[in-house]
Amino acid sequence: MNESMLCTKTHEYILEQDDKYLVGITDYAIEQLGDIVFIELPDVGTNFSKNEAFATIESVKAASEVYMPISGEVLEVNEEIVNSPELLNDENYDNKWFVKIKSNADQLEFADLLDYSDYKEEIE
Amino acid sequence: MTKQTFLHDKHIKLGARMVDFAGWEMPVQYDSIIEEHKAVRNSVGIFDVSHMGEIIVKGEDALPYLNKIVPQNIDTLIPLKAIYCQLTNKNGGIIDDLIIYKLEDYKYLLIVNASRIDDDLNWMVRNKLGFNVDIINESHNYSLIAVQGPKSSEFLKEIGLINLPFFFSIKRDELFNINVWISRTGYTGEDGVEILVKNEFSEYLWDKLLEAGKEYNIKPIGLGARDTLRLEAALHLYGNDLDENTTPIEAGLSWSIPKDKNQEYNGKCIIENQLKNGIEKKLVGFRMLDKSIARHGYDVYFNNNKIGIVTSGGISPSRGDNIGLAYVKNLDNLSVGSTIQIMIRDKLHDAEIVKRPFVTKRNKLK
Repeated sequence: MNESMLCTKTHEYILEQDDKYLVGITDYAIEQLGDIVFIELPDVGTNFSKNEAFATIESVKAASEVYMPISGEVLEVNEEIVNSPELLNDENYDNKWFVKIKSNADQLEFADLLDYSDYKEEIE
Repeated sequence: MTKQTFLHDKHIKLGARMVDFAGWEMPVQYDSIIEEHKAVRNSVGIFDVSHMGEIIVKGEDALPYLNKIVPQNIDTLIPLKAIYCQLTNKNGGIIDDLIIYKLEDYKYLLIVNASRIDDDLNWMVRNKLGFNVDIINESHNYSLIAVQGPKSSEFLKEIGLINLPFFFSIKRDELFNINVWISRTGYTGEDGVEILVKNEFSEYLWDKLLEAGKEYNIKPIGLGARDTLRLEAALHLYGNDLDENTTPIEAGLSWSIPKDKNQEYNGKCIIENQLKNGIEKKLVGFRMLDKSIARHGYDVYFNNNKIGIVTSGGISPSRGDNIGLAYVKNLDNLSVGSTIQIMIRDKLHDAEIVKRPFVTKRNKLK
């Protein structure tokens, strides 16, 4: 876990980096999903609203949607995790983001996001 | 309330993730589904399948009674042999698929799906009129442990099962001084056995098998890998690939239907008509031509027309691609080699119809 992450109750996170946000799923989610075999990411340039599904993770058992913690436009997608889903088991959150987004989200959109300690409490 | 098998505590101690399956709290995986899958394809795995049902049919009319409720010819079954059957309704639809074992004259054991025990018993009792038989549900008295994999027979011989029963046969034997029934059957496409044991001995037997199997790298296997293994072997899953509106002919099970059975059985008229005049829908196997994964319930297209539905789909750890089973319209130009499309999240993805099973002993990867 990275202490500056903000998380959703559905186990996505955002991590501010310069003027952008990295968006991905937490280690807890990765562990719960089990063997992840395929990841489908959106096209660069796509706009998503908060809570909209933007990616799909296929584990051996099922397909799961990944939802946007805040609204934004996709600037970059992490092709490396598409080609090697095993990278998600890497400890470093910098390598396993799904998309980088540009966001004009207002404070209201951040209101229900959990900080590090609240999220840890949530999953315990 | 969910039921637990007598091995429940063992699964928890082994770190299994438990899920609800057909009203039972069962291990879906202990470790990684893919690693468990490979253990069964390469060596030996052990499964708790105690949720499955055991029904005894015995009495003077056991034989004609069974001949009435399944399309198969039970006359040909000799003691200690088994046969794969379907319990059919009046329309030829499949109420359950099961294995019938002849234990002795006038006494048969039926092993049925956990999710169908109650429906099976109801249907069997409704068909009992005029037959002198007893139908006894023994499901709550027995645990079932499957040992599967290419090294399973070597392993079992080493622990004292010198003469294993032949394929689709059953035998009374002793294992670690416990009385068991050993059946040479399974749901993985590998060699192996299913061991029927009284509940009170199941924990002891489970521990002994795991301990003795260490040198074979024996692994406990959850329902997750059980599903990927059976899919590669193109073995049907009741509720996905079989249901009461699907006949054995439509399900690709014609090989199991005798063409010359004289006795009446439920659905005979429809099943014989389908054998003679053909069917409107058929089961096909397919492999995805890209990295996407088809799942149960996805639509199937051919030349831009919706022609069917995926009933089972997932990854094939042994092949390295993604596979599935689908029911499609029985079109003449749709056969092995045809390209179909699967609708996955609003996009069509190409798939090729391929022969079943997807994995045979010859083509499996090490």
